Amino acid sequence: MSTAMNFSNKSFTPRPPDKGAFPLDHFGECSAFKERFMECLRQSGYESAACRQSAMAYLECRMDRRSLYSLKCFLLFSSFLLRQLMANEPLEKLGFKDLINEKSEEKPAKS
Amino acid sequence: VVPGETALAFYKAKNPTDKPIIGISTYNVVPFEAGQYFNKIQCFCFEEQRLNPQEEVDMPVFFYIDPEFAEDPKMAKVDLITLSYTFFEAKEGQKLPLPGYH
Repeated sequence: MSTAMNFSNKSFTPRPPDKGAFPLDHFGECSAFKERFMECLRQSGYESAACRQSAMAYLECRMDRRSLYSLKCFLLFSSFLLRQLMANEPLEKLGFKDLINEKSEEKPAKS
Repeated sequence: VVPGETALAFYKAKNPTDKPIIGISTYNVVPFEAGQYFNKIQCFCFEEQRLNPQEEVDMPVFFYIDPEFAEDPKMAKVDLITLSYTFFEAKEGQKLPLPGYH
């Protein structure tokens, strides 16, 4: 099924994501972070660069979360694996290196 | 979105039926030539995702545009790239053909 309205032989070849798929946030555990991010986008005129802090906070939420669904499975099947909403990844590797440096610079100034 | 900078986008999906649905999605990028510069770090696509009856979920995509996009003269007039997803209902024993995946 092609969605492109052209007569060329080119067809779009999908590529898999670098770090795999996000599990669904069925219980909306990170919805608050998502709302904050969306609000930031609306206020900034949808400038992605202006909302990177909020994006980082959302991804941190996903990494910190253990899915409640998995917790039920854990109790039922005595599994020792708890599924996160995102595999732990250092934030520098997700393109937030400059924001991390800003954070660590602020802390010594405050103390 | 600035080429080279990671960005987050959200889609929303709802299952309006009274039965759980297992869906699988694939994506498309327009204009076609921009697709080679579109890199997904993580998304909800390609894997089966279950939506319970009446459930609505947010579906994030974490991506970046390759900085070489800014160097490509063919992309000079491209200021809008559209990413779209199509959800299919997963059928038993069927997998989307994905060369090199899994």
